[in-house]
Amino acid sequence: MSDEIKDIASFDRLIHEPARLAIMAILSACESADFTYLLNATGLSKGNLSAHLSKLEECGYVGIAKSFKGKYPNTTCVLTPAGRRAFVAYRKQYLALARHLEK
Amino acid sequence: MTAQPDVDKLIRQTRQYEFSDGLRDLQLAVLLGLSGVAAWLSLEPGWLTFVATVAKTFGRWAAWISMLPLVVAVGAVWAMLWLMGFVRRRWLWRESGMVKSSRIVVPRGVNVLSAVIMVGGIVVGLGLRIVRWVDDAFVLRMLWAATGWGFGYTLIGTGRHLGLTRYVWLGAVGGIASTAMLFLTLNFGQVALAFGVGWSILLGVSGAIALRRALRSAPARD
Repeated sequence: MSDEIKDIASFDRLIHEPARLAIMAILSACESADFTYLLNATGLSKGNLSAHLSKLEECGYVGIAKSFKGKYPNTTCVLTPAGRRAFVAYRKQYLALARHLEK
Repeated sequence: MTAQPDVDKLIRQTRQYEFSDGLRDLQLAVLLGLSGVAAWLSLEPGWLTFVATVAKTFGRWAAWISMLPLVVAVGAVWAMLWLMGFVRRRWLWRESGMVKSSRIVVPRGVNVLSAVIMVGGIVVGLGLRIVRWVDDAFVLRMLWAATGWGFGYTLIGTGRHLGLTRYVWLGAVGGIASTAMLFLTLNFGQVALAFGVGWSILLGVSGAIALRRALRSAPARD
């Protein structure tokens, strides 16, 4: 197996999925974001976003807090320290591979 | 979503979100304007005489009134923070969603270089005083000019980091205009006032333009 393929194979599959990568990227750039913002910024459907968030929450990358603002439910998402570390490691690995492939 | 997203774009957009409606500029404008007024008042003989008269009439405890400008400035910043949250929840971010920005927005390198610019300016002022090319008042004015240069650089660095051209221009114009502090024949307190009001006007105009644009694109309240 070539080095490039080994590198790709070692990517964190959970983050590498496009929708989850978009969610992780947004949350890495702020302290927290609500469901509506993630919905608008990613362009995902409500069900799709909800499913991806649940998956990220399950593995401890994202923290989700549900509350009410007046009569309306409000979901706030944050990147956990483990999620932040995983995202930084993924980006480093991805950019290194991209640079390597450009050569 | 099947294609890989543009991660850099998503990160940049989310970082810009906090600053795109101009409310941060307006908050800074209030903070700098009122701080300038507070600094000027605390050194103004007329205000000091007034505080002394109040203390003489109502007792020594009344001298606490001298803290009033500072209390007003801090209170106004808190009020502004509350107002920002309210306006965003009710109008500006109602449809687009709420984001709490990162605590550290300015890159460390920018902060360090900004401090170096500020301290460097003061050191140059002191050096010129030692060789007697300038008087004491110049050194005090240099304190404000160097603060303006440092703050201007912070805005330029933040603008470049966030991809906000508005901040790059604001920092450049404000930083260059701060040089005027060196040539004003004013005392320390008056220069503080000119500094605070000058930056407040610049940030206020920038914030008002951005807010106008944001309000136009915000959905109407039911």
